[in-house]
Amino acid sequence: MASLLVLGAGKLALGDMLFILISFVLLTALVKKFAWGPVTKMMDARSEKISGDLDYADQERARADKLAKEREDALKNSRAEAIDIVNKAKENGEDQKKTIMADAHSEAESVRQKAKSDAERAKQEAMKDAQNDIASLSLEVASKVIAKELNANDQKSLIDSYIKELTVNNETK
Amino acid sequence: MDDKYKFIDFLGLRFNVANDLSALISAIIVFVFVYSLSRKVTMRPGKAQNVLEWIIDFTNNIIKSLMPDAAVKQFGLYAFVLFTFVFFANQLGLIFQVKVGGYTYIKSPTTNPMVTMALALISLLISHYYSVKKFGFGGYVSNYVKPVGFLLPINILEEFTNFLTLSLRLYGNIFAGEVLLALIGTVAKSFGVVSLVVALPLEMIWQGFSVFIGAIQAYVFTTLSMVYISRKLEQE
Repeated sequence: MASLLVLGAGKLALGDMLFILISFVLLTALVKKFAWGPVTKMMDARSEKISGDLDYADQERARADKLAKEREDALKNSRAEAIDIVNKAKENGEDQKKTIMADAHSEAESVRQKAKSDAERAKQEAMKDAQNDIASLSLEVASKVIAKELNANDQKSLIDSYIKELTVNNETK
Repeated sequence: MDDKYKFIDFLGLRFNVANDLSALISAIIVFVFVYSLSRKVTMRPGKAQNVLEWIIDFTNNIIKSLMPDAAVKQFGLYAFVLFTFVFFANQLGLIFQVKVGGYTYIKSPTTNPMVTMALALISLLISHYYSVKKFGFGGYVSNYVKPVGFLLPINILEEFTNFLTLSLRLYGNIFAGEVLLALIGTVAKSFGVVSLVVALPLEMIWQGFSVFIGAIQAYVFTTLSMVYISRKLEQE
């Protein structure tokens, strides 16, 4: 075996080196075509897909987070809005109640006032009428008293005439 | 040790039949191995694809630890083929050796220095080729006088020592393993049944250890090849 290494021994198998070189290059070419090429291509594709999927997952998660936040905000807002609406409705109701009450009050007041003034006027008119009647009656009585002497005939005739007058008056009425 | 080999002289070159035949068989085994593992290449790898990808990742990581990631595309295939070829070549002689009429025909091809030198030559040729490609011929030559001029003889000498250590380390390890296997085999035959009983476990242990050494040496050979390539590709 050692003789193989001794230069000039005349037995140096240089052909082996050539043979190994050629077979190794051939082996490399074949491995590349049938195994290395497809497998590394698939490995690259896989690593690309994985990083792509990871990126996609990150994006999706960020989007989901944003959506959840938006929804939460909307929910919070809607709750505040609902409270606002209820409060406003309450206020409105209160206001309306107050105005209705005030209106009713004032109307009742005016009705009462009117009734009072009507009654007053009616009373006044009645008084005036009564006064007029009394005055005319007393005037008539006075004129009757003055027109006749106080004797029995006269008195009788007076009374008769008066009664007659009354009857006439009554008949004409 | 005292093996005899058939030689063929062809076109002025001498071919050792045992080396060439075993190298060819190793290459065929490597090809059949990776071919059978890469039949169904899918996005979700099956068992076979996983094994192949594990080996590819293994050799790619050797490169990644020494060079920038871009180098994996350049040398990944070479490192993978080199590793698998050397690994199977180392194991071949442990599994079977064929001797016909006193002549050895099949053994580990890496038990011969000519074979390991051929492999080391490929590695170093690649390192020089890519160095010239990267720095230009002027830059490549000027790398010999860096970092200081007086290191020129040492740098030149280093090229030869790199070549010799790379090839002879592999050869020495595998050759020694098979020598010891053969020695234990001789012991087994020496005193009949008694020595056979003693030698059999020894042989088995040593065979297991040789498998381990074969794997380690394949890894070392690939790693050192990549180290030499990476050193040629960086400016000192």
